Amino acid sequence: MSNQRQASSASQTPHLSPAELSYLYTSLSLPRAPIRPDGRSPTQFRPLSAESNILPGTNGSARIGFADGTQAIVGVKAEVERTNLATDTLASQSDVNDSEEHQGSAAVSGHGSWVQMSIEIPGFRDDDALPVFLSEMMRESLVGSVTEGSGKADAADAAEMAGGLKGRLVINKRWHWRLYIDVLLLSQPLSYPLPLLSLTTHLALLSTKLPKLKSQGEEDPFFDDDWAVAEYLYPRISSQKTKLPSQYVRPPVTLLVISVGENVIFDPNREEIAVADAVLAISLTRDSEAGSLKLLSIRTIDPPSRLTQPAVPNSENVNMLGAPAPTEDIAVLNPVTGEEEVPGVWRPRRGGIKRSVIANMVQTVLKKGGVGEDVLEGLEGVEVE
Amino acid sequence: MVSAATVAPAAPQSLSLPPPQFARLQPHAYLLAHLSPPVASNQPSARANGRAPSQFRVTSANSGSLTHTNGSGMVRLGDTTAVCGVRAELLHTEDIPSWSVSQSSNANKRRRLADSIKLSGQSGDHEETEAEVEEDRAHIEDLNLLVPNLSLSTGCAPGFLPGAPPAALTQALSHKILSLLHSTRLVRAEDLRVWYQPPNLGPEELERHNDEEHMDVDADEAESKPAEIKAFWVLYIDIMIISLAGNPFDAAWMSVLTALRDTKLPKAWWDVDNETILCSDSIAESRKLSLRGLPIPSSFGVFEADAAAGWRAVVIPDGEKLKAEEKKGTVQKWILADPDGYEEGLSQERACIIVDKEQNGKTVIVSMEKHGGWTVDTEDLRQLVDISARRWDEMKQIMDQC
Amino acid sequence: MNDRRRVNGPPGGTRPPVYASLLETGTGAGDRSQRQRQPAELRKICMHDDNLSAPAYQTNLWHFRTSVLKTGLIPSASGSSYLEFEPSASLTAARANPKSLIPPSSALKLACTVHGPKPLPRSAAFSPNLVLTTHVKYAPFAARKRKGHVRDSSERDLGVHLETALRGAIIAERWPKSGLDITITILEAEDDRWWGDAPDSHDASWGMMNVLAGCISAASAAIADAHIDCLDLVAGGVAALVSNDSTNSSSSAPRLMLDADPAEHRSIVSACVVAYMPARDEITELWLKGDSSKASLAAGDQRTGHEALIDGAVDAARGAYTVLAEAVRESLQRAFDQS
Repeated sequence: MSNQRQASSASQTPHLSPAELSYLYTSLSLPRAPIRPDGRSPTQFRPLSAESNILPGTNGSARIGFADGTQAIVGVKAEVERTNLATDTLASQSDVNDSEEHQGSAAVSGHGSWVQMSIEIPGFRDDDALPVFLSEMMRESLVGSVTEGSGKADAADAAEMAGGLKGRLVINKRWHWRLYIDVLLLSQPLSYPLPLLSLTTHLALLSTKLPKLKSQGEEDPFFDDDWAVAEYLYPRISSQKTKLPSQYVRPPVTLLVISVGENVIFDPNREEIAVADAVLAISLTRDSEAGSLKLLSIRTIDPPSRLTQPAVPNSENVNMLGAPAPTEDIAVLNPVTGEEEVPGVWRPRRGGIKRSVIANMVQTVLKKGGVGEDVLEGLEGVEVE
Repeated sequence: MVSAATVAPAAPQSLSLPPPQFARLQPHAYLLAHLSPPVASNQPSARANGRAPSQFRVTSANSGSLTHTNGSGMVRLGDTTAVCGVRAELLHTEDIPSWSVSQSSNANKRRRLADSIKLSGQSGDHEETEAEVEEDRAHIEDLNLLVPNLSLSTGCAPGFLPGAPPAALTQALSHKILSLLHSTRLVRAEDLRVWYQPPNLGPEELERHNDEEHMDVDADEAESKPAEIKAFWVLYIDIMIISLAGNPFDAAWMSVLTALRDTKLPKAWWDVDNETILCSDSIAESRKLSLRGLPIPSSFGVFEADAAAGWRAVVIPDGEKLKAEEKKGTVQKWILADPDGYEEGLSQERACIIVDKEQNGKTVIVSMEKHGGWTVDTEDLRQLVDISARRWDEMKQIMDQC
Repeated sequence: MNDRRRVNGPPGGTRPPVYASLLETGTGAGDRSQRQRQPAELRKICMHDDNLSAPAYQTNLWHFRTSVLKTGLIPSASGSSYLEFEPSASLTAARANPKSLIPPSSALKLACTVHGPKPLPRSAAFSPNLVLTTHVKYAPFAARKRKGHVRDSSERDLGVHLETALRGAIIAERWPKSGLDITITILEAEDDRWWGDAPDSHDASWGMMNVLAGCISAASAAIADAHIDCLDLVAGGVAALVSNDSTNSSSSAPRLMLDADPAEHRSIVSACVVAYMPARDEITELWLKGDSSKASLAAGDQRTGHEALIDGAVDAARGAYTVLAEAVRESLQRAFDQS
């Protein structure tokens, strides 16, 4: 119980000795050329296998498995629901003309609560801090990604996505879709599960189809039962119109980024995150107009390194009393953390992050040709059929 | 704590502990030393917190500072602080499973009576019949129109875990407040009803209107078309104990009183077009609750000189013998008004007396309870009632000011 | 399921009142309160003067007339604090001259207690550091919509944010095998939007970010009041990109506002909360959401939108820090007087 309490925001604290932590930290913080335990480059992701549309009973689904055996399955179900906003229903009866601008905004832009997300992680109750934090984090960027209603009439597909995912869920003034996103982690998380869950959710949403609407305007909706003509939740632009693949409106992706020393490292595994100075979850999507990447949200995650056990330098070690003090046992000022440290002796992290470090981390994700573009392109490469 | 210095002569000379530590290690002896100072020292008997035995803590109340409530109140009883917010929501009669129109008939009659009295310029204070009282009770109690909930899991004291289900004390206090709300009939059921008078000119009646023969009869019938209750206001009374230092009930109940006295209900009516209840947001049209009386609680704890009294085998003493012992002065006890957290831990026997005063100044005992011991006898209780009556005057003044 | 440990209302549920004036489009709703402050000006954490008129003074829950970040109001806790924001001009006006039952805006009011450091329960695993537990709960009457008695996901989410913010500031290794419980009760929350706007025109919970900033400052004061060693006081600050123009949001780019009250703006495009330690110039908690790419900054400002937003939030936190430092000084003074 208290173990889980400690691990509320980050994943479980790994049981690494101070010496191991110190070794890891030193190799990861080597200037410009960090050495990761599994030999990846700082921006490289772990190999993964992905497939989508694996569950026939859902509107969209995906499965991603990491090489270490952790797997996540996401299923998306959509249901039609009556839009029941207290004043809306009344206003639409009393004066339809006037209410257009007044209550129209709600009916056009949708409601964040129409997207429901539940995350199930083995070993955690669904009201534990970790699943709640993860689902709020992913839902927030999902419903928040409002494309600024590009008013161009020719881009019919883009207009359909005006108001982002929330807007897409509106059927008409009185009806809307409710989206249930169920995320299932199949085994105990070996590392902080955020990247895995986010990528899987992204794929599942990409493969999600909604049945084609046959009714028109404000009448009660009814749908075409032919699954073949169903429309994607995130519409594809037909191939002849496509200039760049980047013009798709895409679900957001949340990346996990850590900083160790001066290095910025992506997709950390459990051991790496344990020595991180700072952990950020950065959500981004493609800006449908500019084609560049757009930042949706940043959240700090409590680095587990704050909960680790400190090591004792030789000079303070009772067992070493009397032994000649080794020359390298002199405290130096760590330029990144601003604290006095003895090299090679592990100290749990204290304090926060410098603004320059945050800026650097975000920059690495967002810059042209940066990691964010790589990831999105990689995901676009996954065959969604 | 303030008068810590005064204890020095009472404490044994050999024991050189500073007063706060002595208070923690030997709470009973510490309080006893305060209450029975040596005759030589010529000091008055006072409690460890400097109060006289029948003295209450400094009390303050204020109302109406929470924005999102219909009425709110905060009461500070020394270091115990209770905040109460009242939120009113509507219970439509169509949402009540067992509701039938006939249920509103009695209330309807009475309403007409009240109206006619008002019209004739008499005072509206007519005698309530038993049936009306029963109906008011049925509406408020059976429909759960008053929903008080107290919360101690605000970090107010170390013993109550936040996030855990309500502790036994929490549940006990909530229910005590609920039963007191019911038994005092503080809130009038009439205040909570939303009436609807169906229009006299229904379509059928309009048609028949031309028919002169039936006209008179129809008019009579239309007039007697009964008004019906379309909804009830439900008052959610939520009490947060922000800080707990003994005697939570007095603070909680008085915060409820303050909040209810502050509560304004918007004017509500049945809107035929929308088929729902609409409210007016105008303050001029809203009305305050008219409460029945002002029941003020006073809690007491009994401190016994015999430290072992709490865990000695209970033998119901012979009344005569007890009196004799008391005359000899062997049974020594103090009844402490408004005990703080420290004193509550030292007293087994508790008493709580709730009094109200009628307009002619006559004191009415609303409720009286005593449990946990047998040292308080009828004579003591009589004195406690007097203390409570004085407390009522004091509290009335405080509540009228806020 | 019926909660048998609480007093339950009518089993069929109740409906919040619907005000008729809201149905008449726009007219009855009154005017949106306008921001009276400069973009960089913060709301006061309630400085009440003695010569304030009575109604303004009534909005203050504890009837304090001086700064309302108070510590030590809850003696049974090892540390405590109470924080209240100054009510907006419109709210003060509405109090002075009440007309409508619908409050124009609300002002944050919250109480924070710290219990500990205390030994961990026997069943707990060994911890070389102080184990921090945070708990944020809204009172049922805190917001326009009644809250439940059991914490919902947004309240749990706030708790995690708060924990992250504080854990970076506390020197945890000085209390091995100990626990520290921090409980925050929110008596009045910030609005997410202006009440007269359609209920869901922008439904993101912007008010929650202001609440979090308040929680961070209050918790920091309470921790200092409990004499727990910290690297520095950590202050919460919020900055937002707001666009007030209703007709065409693309023509007028959103502007940066410190400590924005969501009730005062047409729409908030993006907002950011930081927990900031001025002495070290470090951020222990950052929460940014929304589209910050279209910010209009001063000419020659090379920063990107999100950087400007973070800097703005840090400036707001610096402002809160001065009040925080004053409250802690008061708390220390009291401790000296007592000993």
